[in-house]
Amino acid sequence: MTIWTRFVAIRFLRLALLLAGVAVVAFALAKLSPVDPVTAYLGPNIAKVGPEQRALIAARWGLDQPVTVQFLHWLSNLVSGDFGWSATYNAPVTAVIGSRVAASAALMGLAWLLSGVIGFSLGVIAATFQGGWCDRIIRVYAYVLASTPTFWIAILLLMGFSVALGWTPVCCAAPIGLLPGEATLLQRLHHLILPLVALSILGISQIALHTRAKMIDILESDFATYARAQGASRLDVALRHGARNAALPAITVLFASLGELFGGSILAEQVFAYPGLGSATIEAGVRGDVPLLLAIAMGTTLFVSVGNTIADILYVVADPRIDLASDAALREIGP
Amino acid sequence: MSIRTCLTALLAASALVAFHPTTSLAAPKTELVLAIGGEPDDGYDPVLGWGRYGHPLFQSTLLTREADLSTTPDLATAWSLSDDRLTWTVKVREGVKFSDGTPLSAKDVAFTFTETAKSGGAVDLSVMESATATDDETVVIKLKRPWITFVENFYSLGIVPAAEYDAGYARKPVGSGPYRMVSWTEGEQLIVEANPFYYGKTSPFTRITFLFTGEDTSLAAANAGKVDVVSVPATLADSLPNGFKAVIADTVDNRGIVFPMLRNEGKTDAGGYPIGNDVTSDIAIRKAINLGLDRKALVDAVLLGHGTPAYGPADGLPWSNPEGRLDEDVDAAKALLDQAGWAPGGDGVRVKDGLRAAFDVIYPSSDSVRQGLAVMLSEQMKALGIEITPKGDTWEGIGRLKHANPVLFGWGSHSPQEVYSLYQSDWAGIESYNAGYFSNAAVDAHFAEAQAAESLQASYPFWKQAEWDGKTGFSAKGDAGWAWMVNLDHVYFVSECIDVGETQIEPHGHGWPITSTLQNWKWTCN
Repeated sequence: MTIWTRFVAIRFLRLALLLAGVAVVAFALAKLSPVDPVTAYLGPNIAKVGPEQRALIAARWGLDQPVTVQFLHWLSNLVSGDFGWSATYNAPVTAVIGSRVAASAALMGLAWLLSGVIGFSLGVIAATFQGGWCDRIIRVYAYVLASTPTFWIAILLLMGFSVALGWTPVCCAAPIGLLPGEATLLQRLHHLILPLVALSILGISQIALHTRAKMIDILESDFATYARAQGASRLDVALRHGARNAALPAITVLFASLGELFGGSILAEQVFAYPGLGSATIEAGVRGDVPLLLAIAMGTTLFVSVGNTIADILYVVADPRIDLASDAALREIGP
Repeated sequence: MSIRTCLTALLAASALVAFHPTTSLAAPKTELVLAIGGEPDDGYDPVLGWGRYGHPLFQSTLLTREADLSTTPDLATAWSLSDDRLTWTVKVREGVKFSDGTPLSAKDVAFTFTETAKSGGAVDLSVMESATATDDETVVIKLKRPWITFVENFYSLGIVPAAEYDAGYARKPVGSGPYRMVSWTEGEQLIVEANPFYYGKTSPFTRITFLFTGEDTSLAAANAGKVDVVSVPATLADSLPNGFKAVIADTVDNRGIVFPMLRNEGKTDAGGYPIGNDVTSDIAIRKAINLGLDRKALVDAVLLGHGTPAYGPADGLPWSNPEGRLDEDVDAAKALLDQAGWAPGGDGVRVKDGLRAAFDVIYPSSDSVRQGLAVMLSEQMKALGIEITPKGDTWEGIGRLKHANPVLFGWGSHSPQEVYSLYQSDWAGIESYNAGYFSNAAVDAHFAEAQAAESLQASYPFWKQAEWDGKTGFSAKGDAGWAWMVNLDHVYFVSECIDVGETQIEPHGHGWPITSTLQNWKWTCN
């Protein structure tokens, strides 16, 4: 009990410090950025708007206050649970995120699960049949895709499956022209397929390559040779003795890739006009919408940080030799 | 081997499917799907700036512009400006209802103008003193000073209902326009249907879906036959999908370079960055560049033919003056430079009093069209002996450099207010408006006359004189404050079954402006 209590307490403390740090740094970066929110807001209207009106816009958003005052104001609101007002969307930050997070969560959650399961399976298969045609195909696939940008994959998928074959919809989370309430679950899943594939493809290759390398080590280890000597096939050894050991790097990569997954989802959402957090993140950045940007940055921090903590806990589950009490061991990969 | 056969089969199959006709020719359609971008992040609130381009859909305006930009009354039945040019009296149409069935009166008009003035949105009404409804049909708007370009708001400011307007208005707009909102999934699609209370001409299209897909995805959707109208960048204008025709709108979506007009005398702007450029402050250089530019070649090479040569900030609009342009003539440009004392130097670059005719032209590095224009400009100017180095930078970098270096900007608006902002001497160095510190007392005087005119129509001759009055002006023949280069065409792929009629000369910003004539669109297939 004491070990776990300490573990949780330390993690919470670290998380709090991390969030505070991220808030300060993200705020400072956003303020140092060359983006002028008023200019970004006006866009092509700029020549019709004079200096007086610009001052009025800045005042509406509180940008006429000194930067430190803006930060303290934001912080005091945050403490009382108010994430502020998004100038870009002319709505409370919580409402902006709330209306988009469900679509993003479904997309990212499924993509994450799929890339984990498929990537791990491919890695195990490739290592088991090391050097064979199966291994070669998986390796080529993994190398090519690991170096391919998500948006490009997304456009290719779109051209192939939506335009040429007509199997999948070209965009959106629901059929074109249909009210959000009218779309059936099946239609929603149909619209999820392409963004999901585009996003999963990225994660699969990394996990497959890491798992493959680990599994090859395992298959060449003494206990594997011993098992082979007793008549077990390579596949037997891989599945019965190797899989659990090889899971450690897969878990690490899977949880460490949460940040990348978030980045990838932004691009996939843009291509498929999938109404998730992606476009909101881009808009918040390019238009200098600090409250929204900060909320998303802190949300992502929380998300990645909790993910890493879960990975640390899973190490112990996957490999009982790892000692939770020692911090160094928490981060160690493999036996 | 098996993989290759599989791939070949897949490719062949996809090619077969791709060549199927995608648009079905059934009964007249009453529903349209448009992928022309234009989603307002902050919603459909005219008070904050919605509807400044194209059609406001949900609201209607006091006046509207036809395809030829002539004025027709909409909510206003009569409008007049007092002799001191400070008071507008507008009569509001009777019997108009909002989409929720409540009546629209002059009070709503006054409320909209008053609310807009204080809301801190993208609409600048700072010249307005007050807006009051004197009775149910009359609105009186008082101005702080004569300002004819205020009338632009009669065309673009959609009227909101005073009783319904609150913080949530932008996401559930109620107005007197031809459509009302059915649903808006942000980042994905907007669905609208005909407003049963609409007083004007009804469109045959009773339900319209606007898809907010990116350019590539929109084009893919057209190829898959899922949309009826899609806006495409000029670079993709030749990839017409089956069942579509290209509609090309002329524009004042222009690109050109602004010249620093002052000499570099060590002065700095408010941010501490230098002002002035010794080469471009010489009028001979500015005129020679205007003379020596082959604008047609720019259009062909950079815009792949999808544009027109630009000679001023508002080509083709009633307040522009074609008299002010200089016809392209490389020999005349060289003669002008010789005469001004710019002698050819050893390396092909002209020199005057030890100063080389060399400078940088700054463009935003994120914009490939502007980069292409800057590079072509540099090539063309070699023939004149002027050395131009194109340099890409961020908008922030441009902010630091714009008062001492020519910058490749883009403008274009349906209001002469923009011309005023670009060349009025009071606006020198303020934001990005008059970045070159252009200053000409005669031009300022013509602008003042224009702003004090009795109507927008009556102001046109003064705007024209500001461009060129026979002696001076801001045009190339006058002080040549800019070298305007090209106007970008706006290309739309439209289903062969839809007749969109004549399009307006469109402003800066591609996509939504095509909706300005939405009411006139027709379905032509049976």
